[in-house]
Amino acid sequence: MPKVHYVDHTGQDTEMDVPVGENVMHGAVYNGIEGIAGECGGALSCATCHCYVDDAWTAKVGGPSSEAEEELLENASSEVKPNSRLSCQIEMTDDLDGLVIHMPESQY
Amino acid sequence: MPIDAANPVPPTFPRHVGMDQVPAHVPKDLIRQSGLTFGPEFLANPHDFMAAMHEKQPPIYYDVSPMGNMWHLIKHEDALFGLRHPEIFSNEGATPFPRDPNDYFYFIPIEIDPPHHRKYRNIVDPVFSPKGVLKLEGLIRKRANDLIDSFIDKGACEFTEEFGRPLPVSVFLDIMGLPQDMRDTFVSWAMELLHSNDRERMGAAMMSITEYLKDAIAEKKANPDDGVVSLIAHAAPDGVPLSDKEIFGFVCFLFIGGLDTVFATLNNIWLYLARNPAKVQEIAERMDNDIDRIVEELLRRWSVTFSGRVLDQDYEMRGVQMKKGDRVTFILPACNFDPDVFPNPLEVDFDRPRKTILAFTVGVHSCMGGHLARLEVKIALQEWLKRIPEFKLKEGAHIEYRPGGVIGPEEVTLTWK
Repeated sequence: MPKVHYVDHTGQDTEMDVPVGENVMHGAVYNGIEGIAGECGGALSCATCHCYVDDAWTAKVGGPSSEAEEELLENASSEVKPNSRLSCQIEMTDDLDGLVIHMPESQY
Repeated sequence: MPIDAANPVPPTFPRHVGMDQVPAHVPKDLIRQSGLTFGPEFLANPHDFMAAMHEKQPPIYYDVSPMGNMWHLIKHEDALFGLRHPEIFSNEGATPFPRDPNDYFYFIPIEIDPPHHRKYRNIVDPVFSPKGVLKLEGLIRKRANDLIDSFIDKGACEFTEEFGRPLPVSVFLDIMGLPQDMRDTFVSWAMELLHSNDRERMGAAMMSITEYLKDAIAEKKANPDDGVVSLIAHAAPDGVPLSDKEIFGFVCFLFIGGLDTVFATLNNIWLYLARNPAKVQEIAERMDNDIDRIVEELLRRWSVTFSGRVLDQDYEMRGVQMKKGDRVTFILPACNFDPDVFPNPLEVDFDRPRKTILAFTVGVHSCMGGHLARLEVKIALQEWLKRIPEFKLKEGAHIEYRPGGVIGPEEVTLTWK
């Protein structure tokens, strides 16, 4: 199963198995990783699963997948950067095995 | 507050009811009798009433009501903050449905604060996730069309009974694995519990629900199936099976939550559409590209319920001192009409910039059925407008709203050519 590295704002790295087809937000929430709230559950309604895709992965992951994601990112509480994404919109594929994402200090 | 969901105990903080039970720390000038959920002004037009709260009421006031005294919070910003700080605004004991103190249980997961609540959400979230509910799309479309078939040739229907209720309730029963022939009985229990505004009748309804669900759970324990009741009855997070109290409290909460909310939402939306043919036209034209925006904006404008919490510590907001044990209600529809966040809040505008709406509340207790609700509203709009593109309220129809904690009209009789 592909793995994702969830790196918190202090630099602590937690590696988790995330099944292909599942999204990166669920991978965090279901496994109790703090740093991703994902409170709307992936409805593109809350901007609390904000993450920064590691520079080494931005090309593979790409930018926001829809206008809605782009708009909603503007509501994120932490600084929005060029590598910002909503993790509920990143779907795991075999290609993304080893993906590294960085989480902001707070989602609120 | 530490909580042991397997050994539930009734909350110890008091319920205050009426003017002679206003705690001493509440400033006199913040006391209101707003009539929210039952007063004649509210019932005449609940959503306009809640939008007008931003002009008529301070952002935080103490509401005195026969249903219980509590702080009302109406600002979008305050709701986001409060609902995202469960260590201040706790869910324990905040759910208003009466229970037998000798056979007490928690409504799960809504009455369970973090971190324990995640254990329960992980059991059912995959079923109710955006992907999970998509599996139901075909079934929902079929059910919607079957219902439309049953009345389209009449050129008229009483929307709430013939579409608004049977669509979401039958889908919900499919998901839960409960029998369709109990549909009307379940709904009548839910109506008593949510709309009688009478603690005795609420208690009697709770008894009927309890008896039925205990049998249903026992049956699923013996004969597992694909439904959510069975899923919960056999769940064993971290290898530990749920206790009987946890299973019951979980199933019971989903049962109550699933029977009334989408029903009320559809009724509100169709009443609005019947009165606004230009919007119907706009939706029909934009449906192929913008359906998600359309649904989100309709959910903002026609939210149906509230979030109750209990202060777990003394806390001051906007200069208002609240005390540990005080009850708080976030008036979610009013928050969705906060003009600081949604200018011209009563206007249905599908091109608003996307903001967090509170139709499904926010925070860890965000509605787990939100994705299902969105999908149902979306499919209902698509299938209905395909087949009944023009419709209106029956001539002389008189609209009355149901009192209680889920807001919607009693009857919406529609006609079309």
